[in-house]
Amino acid sequence: MELRVNDTIHQVDVEPDMPLLWVLRDELGITGPKYGCGIAQCGACTVHVDGMAVRACQMPVSEAAGSDIVTIEGLGTPDSLHAVQEAWIEHQVAQCGYCQSGQIMQAASFLDLHPEPTDEDIDRAMSANLCRCGTYPRIRAAIHAAAGKLRSA
Amino acid sequence: MKSALLTSIALLTLSSFAAAQTDSPASGPPATEAPATQTVAPEPSVPVEEGLAAWDTVYAVASHPRCANCHVGPDNIPVWSGPSYGARQPHGMHVSGGESRIGAEFIQCQTCHMETQTGEPHAAPGAPEWHLAPVEQQWIDKSSAEICHQFKDPARNGGRSLEEMALHVRDDKLVAWGWKPGGNREPAPGSAEETYQAIETWAAAGAPCPDS
Repeated sequence: MELRVNDTIHQVDVEPDMPLLWVLRDELGITGPKYGCGIAQCGACTVHVDGMAVRACQMPVSEAAGSDIVTIEGLGTPDSLHAVQEAWIEHQVAQCGYCQSGQIMQAASFLDLHPEPTDEDIDRAMSANLCRCGTYPRIRAAIHAAAGKLRSA
Repeated sequence: MKSALLTSIALLTLSSFAAAQTDSPASGPPATEAPATQTVAPEPSVPVEEGLAAWDTVYAVASHPRCANCHVGPDNIPVWSGPSYGARQPHGMHVSGGESRIGAEFIQCQTCHMETQTGEPHAAPGAPEWHLAPVEQQWIDKSSAEICHQFKDPARNGGRSLEEMALHVRDDKLVAWGWKPGGNREPAPGSAEETYQAIETWAAAGAPCPDS
């Protein structure tokens, strides 16, 4: 099976119902997406599939084949961070960090469609991404900041 | 027998469609476009009592949590209800389907609900094109009579004839999930085929609606 991840084509020999998250982490060594719950309850495994945020633990790899998959590793680069990543650093959002790649991927996808979100919009979009450290106020602030960066870019 | 039934249904669908237009006269085709022969409604081939009983079968499905939980009103918030959920509650994670009814304004339904179902306990269920039904197709908190009139009104049923409604219920893959919801969720009563047959019977009786 052929997978396009972060602009690189990979050949994988896996069962079609293997979750995309397993393939990314265990077959391709792309470990930014995290295993949290395995049942779409926490959002730690969020990646983009054709631009849409998706819980990689729920998606059979066969559904992702033929699509453009982006993980946190492909969202920006150390020399050219995505606006959400910049805002995350400026607001020092992360504490333990485990959920943060999922948070950032969800936020980046959300801002693609909503350049001027309200607090309520952000809460609706981000409440399915859990953070046991409770960084939610800083997540919200960083998303507002990232939205400003994207609007002025 | 079956082909004769289908022929009857096809003819009766025309009369049922005409009857349905009384619910929404603005949405139907101009009367001048209809052949004169269609303006005379044939007698229903099924007694009204049998049609009402068939509608009860359809309503049992429409009002079941597997269907009604996503046929919600203008608050656009799906519901978790049914025997496996205990008390009725809004869908978790503070989600809203938005006016798009696919979650585009916030988080898409399909971020978590995939085309296929993992079968893991407590996991998000999956079926193709997971989304809320259009707001004009609100079923939750609606009476049997309200849903019945809505069901046969093309302005509120996606522009479908009764035959198309029957086929939609029988063949749509997201609708089909209601009878195979996985996990410990209670499935909708009957089956897609039985509900299809009930709609056909109801239509053949002239699509009668209950009083309440």
